[in-house]
Amino acid sequence: MDKDLLRQCLTYHGESLFNKLKCEQTENPDFQAVVSDLCKATYERGEGQGSPLVEQFIARKADILFCPSWKTTTLQEEEHEEEEEEEEATEPCAIMPPLELFMEVSYEERRSMLYRDLERGDIVVGRINNIREYGFFLTLLCMAGGLKRDIEDLELSCLCHIREIPSTGSHDDPLSYYQIGDLIRGGVKDIDRYQEKITVSLHQASLSPSLKHIKLGVITQEELPIHYSRSVRAAADSSETYEHILSRCHGYHNPSVVDYLLKKVGISDTHPPSMMRGLQSKLFQEEDFASAIRKKQSASWALKCVRAGVDHFKHGHHVEAMNEYNKALEIDTNNVEALVARGALYANKGSIMKAITDFELALESCPDHRNAKKYLSQTLVERGKQFEGQEKLVTAEGMYRRALSLDDSNPEAQEALHKITDTIQKSIRLREEALAKEQVKAKGSQTSAEKLRKILKEEKRMKKKQKRSASSTSSSSSSSRSTSSSSSSFSHRRSKKKKKKRRRRSEHGNKRHRRISSRESRKSEEASEDEESDSSRRERKRKDSRTRRWKNSRSPDKQEKRSSRERRDTSRERGKNNNRRDSDSKRRNLDENTKRRVSCSSAESDYSRKSSFHSEYSRHSGSAPRMRHDSSKRSSFDGGRCESRGREEICEVEEREKESIEGGAAEENSRSDRHSKRSESAGSQSGSTSAPQARPKKDLPANLLDIFNQIAQFEKEKGVRPKK
Amino acid sequence: MEGPSTRLCASQAGLQSLADRRDSSGDAESDPARDMKTHFRVCRFIMESGVKLAMRSVPVVTACVLYHRFFERASLCAYEPYLVAMSCMYLAGKVEEQHIRTRDIINVSHRYFNSGSAPLECDKDFWDLRDSVVQCELLILRQLNFHVSFEHPHKYLLHYLLSVKSLVNRHAWSRTPIAETSWALLRDCYHGAMCIRHTPQHIAIAMLYLALNSYGVELPVGDKEWWQVLCEHVTKADIDAVISDLLQLYDMEAKCI
Repeated sequence: MDKDLLRQCLTYHGESLFNKLKCEQTENPDFQAVVSDLCKATYERGEGQGSPLVEQFIARKADILFCPSWKTTTLQEEEHEEEEEEEEATEPCAIMPPLELFMEVSYEERRSMLYRDLERGDIVVGRINNIREYGFFLTLLCMAGGLKRDIEDLELSCLCHIREIPSTGSHDDPLSYYQIGDLIRGGVKDIDRYQEKITVSLHQASLSPSLKHIKLGVITQEELPIHYSRSVRAAADSSETYEHILSRCHGYHNPSVVDYLLKKVGISDTHPPSMMRGLQSKLFQEEDFASAIRKKQSASWALKCVRAGVDHFKHGHHVEAMNEYNKALEIDTNNVEALVARGALYANKGSIMKAITDFELALESCPDHRNAKKYLSQTLVERGKQFEGQEKLVTAEGMYRRALSLDDSNPEAQEALHKITDTIQKSIRLREEALAKEQVKAKGSQTSAEKLRKILKEEKRMKKKQKRSASSTSSSSSSSRSTSSSSSSFSHRRSKKKKKKRRRRSEHGNKRHRRISSRESRKSEEASEDEESDSSRRERKRKDSRTRRWKNSRSPDKQEKRSSRERRDTSRERGKNNNRRDSDSKRRNLDENTKRRVSCSSAESDYSRKSSFHSEYSRHSGSAPRMRHDSSKRSSFDGGRCESRGREEICEVEEREKESIEGGAAEENSRSDRHSKRSESAGSQSGSTSAPQARPKKDLPANLLDIFNQIAQFEKEKGVRPKK
Repeated sequence: MEGPSTRLCASQAGLQSLADRRDSSGDAESDPARDMKTHFRVCRFIMESGVKLAMRSVPVVTACVLYHRFFERASLCAYEPYLVAMSCMYLAGKVEEQHIRTRDIINVSHRYFNSGSAPLECDKDFWDLRDSVVQCELLILRQLNFHVSFEHPHKYLLHYLLSVKSLVNRHAWSRTPIAETSWALLRDCYHGAMCIRHTPQHIAIAMLYLALNSYGVELPVGDKEWWQVLCEHVTKADIDAVISDLLQLYDMEAKCI
């Protein structure tokens, strides 16, 4: 029980109330707790008109009246206050003049009331009556926020110090903006209740938070608060009674004025207060409310319809059954039973998707519905079979798995899942076998080309020496770096090539790929990436043409290669990931070749670029050593396909790539352009002498010398370029 | 008194049949007193159902006024009061623009009389009940000569609250639940016919007066008292009359329910 309120009440009414209270509230433990304190309070008979009936009422209802939770008024009223200060036509409720005006409260009383209740942050409106050098004085007219009082005739004067006037930016005296007679709206800054002095400020910060949006400063006559203008009218005309003004207010006739004011005053209309014992809100139970009963009733009515529908269904009247189900869902949307029944009907008719939608909706509201899960799993098996028919094996597998997860005892689902996993595994195995066959073929063809390879390597060594002397003159450190590294890597490669440590190389290569690719990314991304992508694309094209050329050159191996390529294609489709993981580098090479081709077409996306980088790097080492490994691998594994010319081209590509990757200069691009032009059968990016290279080379050893010469030429040109 | 559930559940196609079914049991008390108790109980039914139907204060109060005005001239013997109450709620929802569905009214009422029961099935009884509600509505309209819009004290009370609030210190006001108490008192007025015997302004002022009195709040006094200002020609006697009527209703609660 609210002690303070009780005390206030008892002080007002006197001892008789206290006695009655003790009488009526003996059983109330809360009252017993505070009764001792109240004994000590002194009672003065306030009005002298204490009505025994009223006191009896208070005594009886004291537990409700003084209950702490009875108070629901919050300070939200403060925020709403200022919404009223709009034009008369738009007021949400009647804004009345201050009551004391009508009551004709005495001057003294009003003055003391004002000083008691005025607080910092309230807004006052006054007229300037005096301007001094330290500020100006206002005669207060009315309140404009925080309080609503009739103060005009109190003739209160307050000061607005010069430092309370916000500066206007220019260095004029701020007081010069104000004249005697101006209407000023200001915020109360300080109140001296004993000396009855009020100071006013024009800073927005001086206002209380709920009033912050009101602008302070000079205002016009029209901006005076409504209640003031009305009170002026009322004071002038004695026939303007409160009631009269109220009924004439536009806001009074607002149809939703009750709701608006209830919110403003802070009373809830959904759990309205009552003094009657039987109407206390805690006695109302949730399930007795209309909305709760309606929900239960809808579910029950819908269930009736569903039962009728199931009956129809059993007799084969599908149309009537569907009607009943739809009726049930109209009565109660998302009714679980109706959805499950309708879903079953859809599945029966063959509308698998609609059935699945219904079942899923049902499972949303009731995840443990047995029938829903069972039917859904069966329907998913059906859908899976459809997918299987469309050759979408992975999707079908997903369906079967989901069906099994819903209902593990579904025999069809288990069977189908086993079948399809078998099918998928079989196809994987087939792919692997095909690749293995390719490998074997590739291995077989090595022996015949090994000799050639040796020759090519010798020639490459010589060429490298030439290049080293040529490029030593170039200023680019990268090229020197590349040459030195290339030379070292050449020897490295040669030594390693003999050992069949392809895997290790590939693994190293992978690591280097990653390292280098990260390094690359760290560099100025776009430029280098673009160039790299260009070069890589060109490299890819070059490789394409090279492999094509290889194919053409190796006529006996043509068919094998074609079939292997086909196999590669299929394997590309199925086992990209598998191939990645595969430790067999050869396969990786092959797949990366094909992947390259694929990524060529989608070279626009970063991802493909990066992946192509990776694959490219792994393929033919973004850095010199990687490339060399790759090329050596290729030369060693792809069986003479690359052979001498390929190797040379690889070396050149290495150089070019190295330079393009590390330097990223246009000339390198053009160089690689030229190189790729040379190697490409199509493409016309630069007028290089690549055309002759595009000839299909059927007889490798015969054209080897030609190639050598051309390579030498290009090297010379390359050597010339950096000098420029 | 007979259980209202039997009256409600039975088919109520025609209101005349109700009168026949009604036993004229021996008058234990004088008719007016007994009637007042009946009215009190029925109004309690209206107020409770209003809360369960999420009706706002004003439509609930309109329903009570319709009920009281109907039985000003009609006799309780002729008409089933609970059915009239249900139709009053339905009509009041239409008048005050908060439409209530008959299905909800029937559901809430059925559960009021048969506490804890399952909701009604969509069967003949349900439709008969619905028909009776709708027919009774027309009967009420005719009985009241189609004057169904009333001026309620609620608007006055809210505006008076605002005006009185500005007279007191803001902190004292927020400490004292004057607004809730006066609103509660005002709603409770409608259990009896006093609500139609006094003018809305008087009722509003009386409620505010009682609330202020209960908490011992003192307002400033000028040449006139605050309640004299709020409404012309209101006297202390008027206020006292309203208050005493209300207090009688509170006493009746203990006896009836």
